[in-house]
Amino acid sequence: MRLVWIALALALTGATIASLAAGDQQVPLGTVLGALTGDESVPATARIIVVDLRLPRAVLGALVGAALAVAGTATQAIMRNPLAEPGILGINAGAALAAMLVIVGLPGLTEAWLPWMSFAGALLMSAAIYALAWRSGTTSLRIILIGIGLGALAGAAASWISVFGPVAEVQRAMLWLAGSLQDSRWIKAQWLLIWGLPAALAIWLMARELDLVAFGDTVARGLGQPVQRVRGLAIFCAATLAGAAVAAAGPIAFVGLAAPHIARRLVGRSHAALVPASAIVGAILLLLADLAARRAMPPAQLPAGVAVALIGAPFFGYLLWRKRNDAV
Amino acid sequence: MTRSDPRLSARAVRIGYGGAPVVAGLDLDIPAGRFTALLGPNGCGKSTILRAFSRLLPIESGRILLDGRDISALGTKALARKIGLLSQGAVAPEGLTVLDLVRQGRYPHRSLFGSWSAEDEEAVEAALQVTETTGMRNAPLDTLSGGQRQRAWIAMVLAQRAGILLLDEPTTYLDMAHQIEVLGLMRRLVDEEGITVVAVLHDLNQAAHYADMLVMLRAGEVRAQGTPESVLSPATVADIFGVEVSILPDPETGRPLCIPRRLSPGQPG
Repeated sequence: MRLVWIALALALTGATIASLAAGDQQVPLGTVLGALTGDESVPATARIIVVDLRLPRAVLGALVGAALAVAGTATQAIMRNPLAEPGILGINAGAALAAMLVIVGLPGLTEAWLPWMSFAGALLMSAAIYALAWRSGTTSLRIILIGIGLGALAGAAASWISVFGPVAEVQRAMLWLAGSLQDSRWIKAQWLLIWGLPAALAIWLMARELDLVAFGDTVARGLGQPVQRVRGLAIFCAATLAGAAVAAAGPIAFVGLAAPHIARRLVGRSHAALVPASAIVGAILLLLADLAARRAMPPAQLPAGVAVALIGAPFFGYLLWRKRNDAV
Repeated sequence: MTRSDPRLSARAVRIGYGGAPVVAGLDLDIPAGRFTALLGPNGCGKSTILRAFSRLLPIESGRILLDGRDISALGTKALARKIGLLSQGAVAPEGLTVLDLVRQGRYPHRSLFGSWSAEDEEAVEAALQVTETTGMRNAPLDTLSGGQRQRAWIAMVLAQRAGILLLDEPTTYLDMAHQIEVLGLMRRLVDEEGITVVAVLHDLNQAAHYADMLVMLRAGEVRAQGTPESVLSPATVADIFGVEVSILPDPETGRPLCIPRRLSPGQPG
């Protein structure tokens, strides 16, 4: 078990350093470390490239990946469904509609509003799903079904706006919708930490509750768990976390689905270990994906969200294939 | 408190799912430290009563008393420390081991930040021992036989250290050997651990053999209750199940044995 944690820490460090070193301007490893530690002998250009240009992007990428992964872990636990991901809670649909409104629909709003509006859109959407699924209590299935329904509705509304919008702005909106770390700034990382860290910690503290949720409502209630309160709180935390991540980088799919699965293969299903492991895996996944997105066809930059799916899907398939003889 | 004081009682309880009540005007006393079997045809409200006793279902009117106190006054965890419920067809997440499952039974005893205590450990070990699952503690549940798996679930409820166990059809879907294994375990829990057991059963002969008290239900109403000898009669069985039976004493134990002959006249089917 300890080996797994060491390996995860090493992989995260490696992915971070690689994303600081690689780029149009390659920076040697020693220079990267020197720039990070404030070594005076490092040339100013290298320091600017590493610390001012690439570090915010690496940090934001790691944070977004971790946030999506932890939100995905909580969502999969609450929905008792291995295919669940934060998108089920309406995060992406709500954020996408809000972003479409800001970029294309409402000319009065500047793009400074984009993170706030998409965050609000994500939270509003998941609140609406939760409220509509409430009938003296909720069930996972009802939340999933209503989430799909409202998601389709929001998607239709977003398409409606894009059909009648000016082409250039629609294209900009599409770029945002693909999920990208191109516009990484320290303020975004700070903002994500302020909103996301309390929610992530709350999910980690709820580890024991999430373990019990897997047994179903009847068993959990028989053991005295306040099932509705736990579900409501976990959904709120996951929505906040994923909403903040989407606000920072656009809707990046797949990390929230795959990272918890990969982490589960590594550390098992107990959430006390699964939540932090999943955060690290999510961070690594997104760092590597963004690295690949930047390097795949320079000087053009793919959106990180596209690269995540391109890298993540085969790896995910490999994991399932390797464990093909196990149950699920 | 003597052993026959009722620990769990229903007073004029009415339970429904919104429409017509499934159970109405239920008065029932569950004696302490005994094995009570709930019997009756499908849909007579047996499981509904168990779920109401553990507050999984809200009751529409009436009161359910635990040692004389209304259970609605207890917190969810406090109630779970007193009453354990094993529902029918409970499913564990795949890959889970027996030990992982049994440890969940300690949930109502632990606070948000409380770590795993010596008492938790001891309760889990005791539960494994009583259910004879100690040797398979690290086995994934999906590799066990039906009877072993049921024993592991019972161990989980035992780790809860509740004085009352409610079991919803614990023997359904088990073959005969596993049924006897589980019923024998329940008997031991009553005799050796002093636990009050209430189980929904289907087999009248098994109930008569293992239980101290039978409660016969029909359409949400208690039609007969008492010792197997006093309750099992051709008239009661005809009333409850619509089946004509002969009742013979078991040549070994003297407990009543029930042999079905035919459907009562006028019964559908």
